Amino acid sequence: MIEVENLSKRFGKTQAVAGLSFRVEPGTITGFLGPNGAGKSTTLRSILDLVHPDAGRAVVLGVPYRRLDRPLHRVGAVLEASEVHPGRSGRNHLRVLAAAAGLPRSRVEEVLALVELSASAKRRVRGYSLGMRQRLGLAAALLGDPEVLVLDEPANGLDPAGIRWLRDLLRSLATEGRTILISSHVLAEVAQTVDRVVIIHRGRLVQQATVAEVLAGAQGATRVRTPDPARLREVLATEGIDGDEAGGVLLVDAPPERVGELAAANGVVLHELGVERATLEEVFLELTGGETTE
Amino acid sequence: MIDLLRSELLKVRTTRGWWGYLAVIVLLAGLGTAADLGSTSEEQLAEPEYQRGLVEGIGVAALLGIVLGITIITSEFRHGTITPTLLTEPRRERVVGAKAVAALLLAVVFALVALAILSAVAVTWLSIVGEAIHATDGQVVRRAAQMLLFALLWALLGVAIGTLVQSQVVALVGTLIWLFLAETILIGVLGLLDLDGLADYLPFQALDSADGTTDDLLPYWAGVGVSLGWIAVIGAAGTERLRRRDIT
Repeated sequence: MIEVENLSKRFGKTQAVAGLSFRVEPGTITGFLGPNGAGKSTTLRSILDLVHPDAGRAVVLGVPYRRLDRPLHRVGAVLEASEVHPGRSGRNHLRVLAAAAGLPRSRVEEVLALVELSASAKRRVRGYSLGMRQRLGLAAALLGDPEVLVLDEPANGLDPAGIRWLRDLLRSLATEGRTILISSHVLAEVAQTVDRVVIIHRGRLVQQATVAEVLAGAQGATRVRTPDPARLREVLATEGIDGDEAGGVLLVDAPPERVGELAAANGVVLHELGVERATLEEVFLELTGGETTE
Repeated sequence: MIDLLRSELLKVRTTRGWWGYLAVIVLLAGLGTAADLGSTSEEQLAEPEYQRGLVEGIGVAALLGIVLGITIITSEFRHGTITPTLLTEPRRERVVGAKAVAALLLAVVFALVALAILSAVAVTWLSIVGEAIHATDGQVVRRAAQMLLFALLWALLGVAIGTLVQSQVVALVGTLIWLFLAETILIGVLGLLDLDGLADYLPFQALDSADGTTDDLLPYWAGVGVSLGWIAVIGAAGTERLRRRDIT
């Protein structure tokens, strides 16, 4: 559906993307994640033929973007929210794009209603909030009823209610069988929405997997509750295993099987033994070296 | 291509600048013609040749045509709208083509508005002072047509410059500096080098020959040809630059 192969792009001294390859499967919502400056926007713009890569290639629906016939009908994109003439009304901005794509005016009203912007459509975009501009961008992307959506940080500028609205909209769009690639530097924004993630860092692929796979691959700590934590720590220490105590609970760097066996062999009473699951956010921070700019 | 053209025309019509262009044309063509008539003796007013010359007031369409031509492309970079434009039509040379055709059509509108205003002012004025109107022959039509072509060339040159330079301020200011300063200096330098003949081939000198009024530069059709040559060279370089540019 979207295939990126060995993509590289350098801007001056900055290697924005370095040999990046990944696939976006049809009918999925894929989160394209990485800290700010990881090369997400450059990659998305290369997919859309706005940026010419130095090496490698990107294809959408089997061909380079520029070879698509009537591209707005196949691929919708939301890039920066500021790419609108401030003196034009929201409705006229969409009419200009609809005209170029050979779409009727009625379609403009449909997408305005879909993003809940009909009431402000007459106003000049200059007076729009960032959230309204994001909605306008989404409306533009949906004009041609495309099967593929590419969204670059669409949650930027949205308030919590707006993010929730966006999540619901994306879910319903995905339910209709569309393929969605959505970038973000804040995993929490998309964690509940995406099926798969492509994580990049410094222009390189870090991981490409389903959300479940990413979580399963992350080693969580073992959680132990015991009436005698000091004794258990002693026992574990003899085996070279570390444990942190917090509020009568030990978090141990070893599988629960091993902790249980050691406790039984040394007659330590356990009240609780389980696995502390890493959150997706923790995995993300670990994979990208904790360099998110929050 | 028709869809792209419709989109380009809609872009111009949906911003306030459009009414600014029309207002300036009405103002310049109306006031310019009135000032011309007011400063002319009654004797001269009656001369057919003088009356024919009034259609040269269409020249304001050339000035606004080059500004529109530059703006129609550079405003896309200024406001970032080049991104949605190229997403709609990723073949960038077609976008330039659609803008060139749009600029031509709008220059025709500018020229017709200027002609209508200056005719209305002239006919009203001459009727009031009681002069007969002579300028209804084929010659005046020919001169008006030459002025129309003149305006079209300026508009096209504007699109070519805008495509090459891409920064709105640099393109507008640069064109003004070139028009009023750089060419004059170049003409002087070429004169010192005994290459006066070459000066006639400079862009705005060639355009000047293409308005059908000045006799001391290139012959009329040569002026049109050299102007088209400049437009083609600058436009081709600009289109190539746009094709290579990363839109970030």
